[in-house]
Amino acid sequence: MTASENLTTPASASVADITATLTDIVASELGVAPTSIRPDSDLRAMEGADSVKVLRTIAKIEREYNVELEDEDVFGASTVAGIANVVHRALVAS
Amino acid sequence: MTPAAPAPADTNRHYDLDPDIFGLFLDPLRKYSSGIYATPDTTLAQAQIAKLHFVAGRLQVTDGARLLDVGCGWGSLVLFMAREYHTSVVGISPAGRQYEYIAQRVADLDLGDRVHIVTGHFEDATFDPALVPEGGFDGVSMLGSIVHMPDLDHAMGRARGLLRRGGRFYVSESCFRNAATRTAFDTGPGLEFVRQAIFGWGDMRPLSDLVRAAEDAGFSVVSVDDLTDDYRRTIDDWHANVAANADAIDNVQPGMAATLARYLEVANAGWGYTTKHYALTCKKAR
Repeated sequence: MTASENLTTPASASVADITATLTDIVASELGVAPTSIRPDSDLRAMEGADSVKVLRTIAKIEREYNVELEDEDVFGASTVAGIANVVHRALVAS
Repeated sequence: MTPAAPAPADTNRHYDLDPDIFGLFLDPLRKYSSGIYATPDTTLAQAQIAKLHFVAGRLQVTDGARLLDVGCGWGSLVLFMAREYHTSVVGISPAGRQYEYIAQRVADLDLGDRVHIVTGHFEDATFDPALVPEGGFDGVSMLGSIVHMPDLDHAMGRARGLLRRGGRFYVSESCFRNAATRTAFDTGPGLEFVRQAIFGWGDMRPLSDLVRAAEDAGFSVVSVDDLTDDYRRTIDDWHANVAANADAIDNVQPGMAATLARYLEVANAGWGYTTKHYALTCKKAR
């Protein structure tokens, strides 16, 4: 599924779709290969990660799926799968 | 830094960098604060001029008004208000190189009778009585400067004391989004970088702190404007200029382009999440 399809049919995005998109975003923000990122990768503990890159990642995923996460999810997010689940819940709720 | 180099003033070493650096990424007026973007096509230069007109509007500047600009930078506001609104303006900044730059601009533009620059810290500066209008200034502005003043109450009280009755006080500042965000992020690595690599000292506060201090100083609050999206675009434009002129910037000071780019990235990552940019307008009146 492409980004534009996500925007037009957000509720159809599965956790797996979101995880794949998020993995690409994290890879591009951190400058690492997507294959080095796993669902249980802790964003804040990854090589090259810092709070600014984590925030930029969250901002991009919010824009990608046109959702606004709650503050506790933005600042409490740690793993790729955790963020994907939060985004999925926000999509279902919207 | 070698021992022979002049010691930079404590809060403003960034502003004492070679002015040429700022000419390589700011707009032609060298205004180092948010612009206001009216349309998607608005340029940085247009946005900065629009912002200066906005400040004039918030201060209700009229022909011949007497203004004080605290933290006047490279003089964009003082020169603009003198030329476009025919006002008399006093600017104050602690940065000696900014003073030299503005003094030359004042001479070039033949504005020596209406623009006066004081070098020093606003909080404890002694103003030549000849520079303070009888009854006080019509307007006092602080664009991105109060963040560098440790004693908010003193700074606001001083601004009010220098205003005439009915005079207006304009502050635009980057703020933490709320008090909780300040508690969580004031010591974060992003802000630490900005402090260590860029400014030296700065105390970003939530808007509520600024409003509280304005009220306690005796001001009435006239308006609050959210300029966060405008500052994001301003910084995007600066960032693009830093990237385009990186070699020239590094020629003036090696490594500076990367430091500036990092600062601008940190600043733009936080908007809406940890930070906001507000314009607060107050009046010395009941």
